[in-house]
Amino acid sequence: MPGTAEATVSFLARADLDELIQALRAGGRRLIGPTVSDGAIVYDEIQQAAELPHGWGDEQGPGHYRLTRRDDERTFGFVVGPTSWKRFTFPPTVPLWRARRDGTEVSFESAEPEPAPLAFLGVRGCELAALGVQDRVLRDGPFADADFRARRANALIVAVECTTSASTCFCTSMGTGPEVRAGYDLRLTELDEGFLLDAASDAGTAILQRLPVRAATDAEQARASTAVAAVREELGDPVMTDGLRDRLLANLDSPGWASVAERCLTCANCTLVCPTCFCTSVGQASDLDGLDSTAERHWDSCFTPGFARVAGGGDFRARPQDRYRQWLTHKFATWVDQFGTFGCVGCGRCIAWCPVGIDVRQELAAIAPPPESAARSTGVREARFVVRATAPAREPLVQAQASPAPAPVAPAGTGLDFLPAVVRSSFPETADTLTLVLGDVDPAILAARPGQFVMVERPAFPAVPISISRLSEVHLDLTIRAAGFATAELTGLGPGEGVGLRGPLGRGWPIEAAVGRDVVIVAGGIGLAPLRPLVDRVLSERERFGAVRLYVGARTPRDRLFGLDISEWGTRDDVEFAETVDRAGAEWLGRVGVVTHLFDTAEWDGSQAVAFVCGPERMMQAAAATLLARGLAPERVYVTMERHMECGVGLCGHCQLGGFFVCKDGPVFSLAELGDAFGREGL
Amino acid sequence: MHGSDLPGGGAAGPGSGDGRSGSAAPELRFEVEELTRVEGEGSLRLRMRGDEVVEARLNIFEAPRYFEQLVRGRTPDEVIDIVARICGICPVAYQMSAVHAFEDLFGVQVDPEVRRLRRLFYCGEWLESHALHVYLLHAPDFLGYDSAVAMARDLRPLVERGLRLRRAGDAIIAAIGGRPIHPVSVRVGGFSRAPRRTELAALRPLLEQALDDAVATVRLAATFETPAMERVARLVSMRHPDEYPYNEGHIVSSDGLDIELPAWRDAFSEYQVEGSNALYARASDGSAYLLGPSARIALAATQLHPLARRELEATGLADEIAANIFRSVVARGVELVHAAAEALELVEAYRPPDAALVPWTARPGTAAWATEAPRGLLFHRYELDERGRIAEAQIVPPTSQNQAAIEADLRVFAPSVLRLSHVEAQRRLEQLVRSYDPCISCATHFLDLTVEEA
Amino acid sequence: MGRPTTAARLRVGVARFTSCGGCQLTLAGLHEALLAVADRVDIVEFAEVLSPRSSGPYDLLLVEGSVSTPDQARRISELRRQARLLVTIGACATTGGIQALRNWSDGDAWRAAVYPQPQFIHALRTSTPISEHVTVDALLRGCPIDPGQLAELVTALLVGRRAQLLDATVCMECKARGTVCLISSQGAPCLGPVTKSGCGAICPAFGRACYGCFGPAHPANVEALKAQFADQGRSDEEIGRLFAGFTANAPAFRANARPPLAVLDQPPVGPEPAARISHGFPGVPPLTASGDDDARQ
Repeated sequence: MPGTAEATVSFLARADLDELIQALRAGGRRLIGPTVSDGAIVYDEIQQAAELPHGWGDEQGPGHYRLTRRDDERTFGFVVGPTSWKRFTFPPTVPLWRARRDGTEVSFESAEPEPAPLAFLGVRGCELAALGVQDRVLRDGPFADADFRARRANALIVAVECTTSASTCFCTSMGTGPEVRAGYDLRLTELDEGFLLDAASDAGTAILQRLPVRAATDAEQARASTAVAAVREELGDPVMTDGLRDRLLANLDSPGWASVAERCLTCANCTLVCPTCFCTSVGQASDLDGLDSTAERHWDSCFTPGFARVAGGGDFRARPQDRYRQWLTHKFATWVDQFGTFGCVGCGRCIAWCPVGIDVRQELAAIAPPPESAARSTGVREARFVVRATAPAREPLVQAQASPAPAPVAPAGTGLDFLPAVVRSSFPETADTLTLVLGDVDPAILAARPGQFVMVERPAFPAVPISISRLSEVHLDLTIRAAGFATAELTGLGPGEGVGLRGPLGRGWPIEAAVGRDVVIVAGGIGLAPLRPLVDRVLSERERFGAVRLYVGARTPRDRLFGLDISEWGTRDDVEFAETVDRAGAEWLGRVGVVTHLFDTAEWDGSQAVAFVCGPERMMQAAAATLLARGLAPERVYVTMERHMECGVGLCGHCQLGGFFVCKDGPVFSLAELGDAFGREGL
Repeated sequence: MHGSDLPGGGAAGPGSGDGRSGSAAPELRFEVEELTRVEGEGSLRLRMRGDEVVEARLNIFEAPRYFEQLVRGRTPDEVIDIVARICGICPVAYQMSAVHAFEDLFGVQVDPEVRRLRRLFYCGEWLESHALHVYLLHAPDFLGYDSAVAMARDLRPLVERGLRLRRAGDAIIAAIGGRPIHPVSVRVGGFSRAPRRTELAALRPLLEQALDDAVATVRLAATFETPAMERVARLVSMRHPDEYPYNEGHIVSSDGLDIELPAWRDAFSEYQVEGSNALYARASDGSAYLLGPSARIALAATQLHPLARRELEATGLADEIAANIFRSVVARGVELVHAAAEALELVEAYRPPDAALVPWTARPGTAAWATEAPRGLLFHRYELDERGRIAEAQIVPPTSQNQAAIEADLRVFAPSVLRLSHVEAQRRLEQLVRSYDPCISCATHFLDLTVEEA
Repeated sequence: MGRPTTAARLRVGVARFTSCGGCQLTLAGLHEALLAVADRVDIVEFAEVLSPRSSGPYDLLLVEGSVSTPDQARRISELRRQARLLVTIGACATTGGIQALRNWSDGDAWRAAVYPQPQFIHALRTSTPISEHVTVDALLRGCPIDPGQLAELVTALLVGRRAQLLDATVCMECKARGTVCLISSQGAPCLGPVTKSGCGAICPAFGRACYGCFGPAHPANVEALKAQFADQGRSDEEIGRLFAGFTANAPAFRANARPPLAVLDQPPVGPEPAARISHGFPGVPPLTASGDDDARQ
């Protein structure tokens, strides 16, 4: 039950603080709290009250953090330091699964999280909000991170209201503090002589009952409120969050991005100190023979150079300014689309711990300035971005629950666990592309919809996303281009060898949207692979659709896929089929030219048609433009996007495109949905 | 001078026929173009006329890197980082010689625990360096293998023991210095960070095993058959009244020398030999001298850890160690025991220093010091200017200093290999050079290369 | 297309040029794992540990050290012909090393020597990375290299997968470790933000600023970091010395490196670094992520 004004507030004398510490540690719980170490206040395991930073404060600014000595012995007289609770809820390295190979057989075992019970002492309002933000991202979506969920469930939260602030704080603007309103087990507000305490959960109440407390007086409570209110007053309202999402997305071409990129080191510090950043990568730790391998999740950052690179070498965010834009717009705009809240909680860490002192408040003011009328200088340092003197009262950013209800977990085989399948046969399509026909496939995966994909894993290799290129009652086809080592390993497999599959993943082609309408299918190169199951389905229920037009392009005759299917499609009289190659020698008797030429001057009416397009991104852009010119409505043109994927379930952050996770919101999207995100450089 | 008591065998080298000496006897050449299983790049050239050695040369052709130039204009802490790169096997030795030289000039007193940490640091380097040499570089010679990899096929537990000893040594250096090669925490005034007690305590199991492995090493080394060679060389090492020499003491010799560490130049000097990229060194009277484990054992055995002394005595080879360089492998084994035993004691007694790093101010003047690298005495000398920057540097590694002794030993030993096959003779000569554990990277750091136009 | 053949044992060699030997010592620094590797491959050349020398061919040749003599310049070309995969290891091989500081100096003091006999050193005026002479297939950075990265490279080659070498900055490793940033908390002149990851962020964990021994990150916004150091009160001279370290000759650092003895007031002479990092060869993708291309800055 969330804490409310009616809850009883107790008073714990300063001398009795260690009683609280020991009560928190009872039953083998590890207590994590603030402690002085290496010139900062960091969160670490503590065992007694004496280890807390009594009498220490901090002074922070852009690229600047110093410990200070207070002139009192206050225990919590500082704000946030370089570590966040993320270190304990979402540690830098976590094992995910173990994969083994024995001859041709493969086996996979997901790691079972067994985190020790923890207690967090000193969680600030902004940090509580950050935990709530993490809950939404990692626990409450269609796929949950099991390790995070277990750690979160096992952590007891003792929140602390801030009675001091740093010049880097802006919780007031983000609606996350300094008041602590909900989401804790115990809440603490410090006075000179002791601490006001109240509990908001059974676990918190149980602890409180063991402490030598008395009821807090009205005067004491009033002093506490006043102290917190003073912090609110100190901070003002440095960021105008009203309409911020829209303002940012309207300024994707601002010169401010290039300007901040001149200073930005793309060192990733901001993302690593941020309590809500969640991007990770998966690494393989294996023995020398690759027979026994553990996949581990590591912290990553959208600032790292290879973050948005795909197999074959294309990089969707090659320039530092693209990566900075991704980070800022994710935090303050697209996070809202994805999760319903801002990603930022106003803790200010990214400002203090940026080596060159880039201040997001300033960058927001420069790139997405608030309407003139609201801006006002108060003469405070860095006055340029002070928007208002006082932040308006806001609904809390996130209602974090201290003891969360278990979220629905996708059943095994449909998202998170690898299940083995066996290669039955393989069929080379081109010099570098091969189709694997898999058997012994889990029924849940065979029930995939056309357009969905699976993550495919061989022990000691990274898992790769592969579109399903044919579905049947007992077999699954995967058409794979050997663009890197992992895909080369897959295309080298012979009959009887095992692979792990995770899926089916993603949103497939919305076939129902085409029922009763004309269907246009445009495929370029390997883009035909995810379209083939769609073609199979449409042709197997041919009568449900209007005219069916199938246009297939390839680079050269030797790059054509699915020769047998193409022959069959070409001979059907209920399908209008045409194919072309970009270039060819004399032996090719068919059409030469880009695939859009197959229909750019055709005479059919596109206004009621539905189109499904897949191929290299530039080909899809050209095809989309042509289809729109032919009268198709953007909400009825579907494309499938490719981005770097490591998890396939929307947790690793790599595949983001604007506000979408390509793996779980796509990979199929309509042009209307994508809007500006389709074809924008560096997004 | 003793001849070889090796079984004569095989054809002698070309042209040596009946081995008669005299100007009519044809010349015999042994050349090992590139020495292997030594650190760095050197070659061996021996020319004999009958029984007479015309020339014995250890040519060091490893490319010079000019460290004495590179440190000019730098601050003392920068120098500590830079000189480590003279050698990948003994970076600790370079850092220790440098830091002590600066602290001596600046009048810096480090925390007593820091002093002990620095000894522990050196124990780590001796463990990894001696184990590398004994097991990977030298033991194959005695056991009849071309390499440790080949030896591991038949005697895997033996090679594993050597690698385990290295692991223990590397772990000590990494715990104190961050990484075993080119450690990062040595600073003028101490360490940029002192380890926690728990971090050193975690080394205990490794060190206990290392002690067992070290004892096994001595005992094994004592069984190795070595050519009976004897050359009374002048032995030089450091000595300290209370401890086996690492970072402090005097320079002493087997013929009565006893000088303070900064005064190395009073008794020794460097000189250049045409055709070699490493400077040689000689005593003031022009004679060669020998540094390293054999010299230390001969001159400072009384300060060995009791366990090491006991093992030394049990071998009964103390006298041979002083006279026959082939016995250096036993000396290294004894020093492995010492390093492991002392390391265990230091780890046990460790308390984090009150001040891991004490403040200091640079002074102009001459900073000079020597410490005992695994291979022997390593002397550093720096001239500092008014800004506290290096104006000039002189770095004299043990291998440079040993070159003259190596060549003297070659001259003594060479006649005894005449009757062997050429291949076998070459092998023995290489084995002799290896007995010095030469570190050729160290020896070729300098610049004063005289440039001659062709 | 398809897996590399693993039937024949890989022939592995280690060649040394101008260096301290510390990077190849890292192979021995794998300790017991060295034997596990030796069980699976034929280490045909590793002169410090093996006696016989080999003239190749090699499936994998690890090259340590920079080119600083004419003989070495010839030798690396021969070795390149003999090696299927040539991987440079360490700061000397990948950037020229600390000894590359002589590239900044006046020619008179460092003139190349010419001697008639082959045993004498012909020292070149410059010390240059291997990639300025031949194409390399992958590189491991560091002074010395990190044993974990070396183990990963060897494992990747044996398993047939890409070597997973973290392509980020030292900051990422520092934060993963929980170290407090020295720049923000002390105003220390730490090069971590512009230095490539791989060492595990040892120096800040041991209380001192990173000095860039793994070479520049990609990208490395050195100008911005320099400006920050200047704001924090560091002199131009100190900043110049900071970049004049073990990887001074790397393109992103060299323009800002001011070795104390430099008499040239501009970057050193020497050929423009060629884009000599291969992107794999037919049928086999590049062994490491393509962010390692030093010249493509």
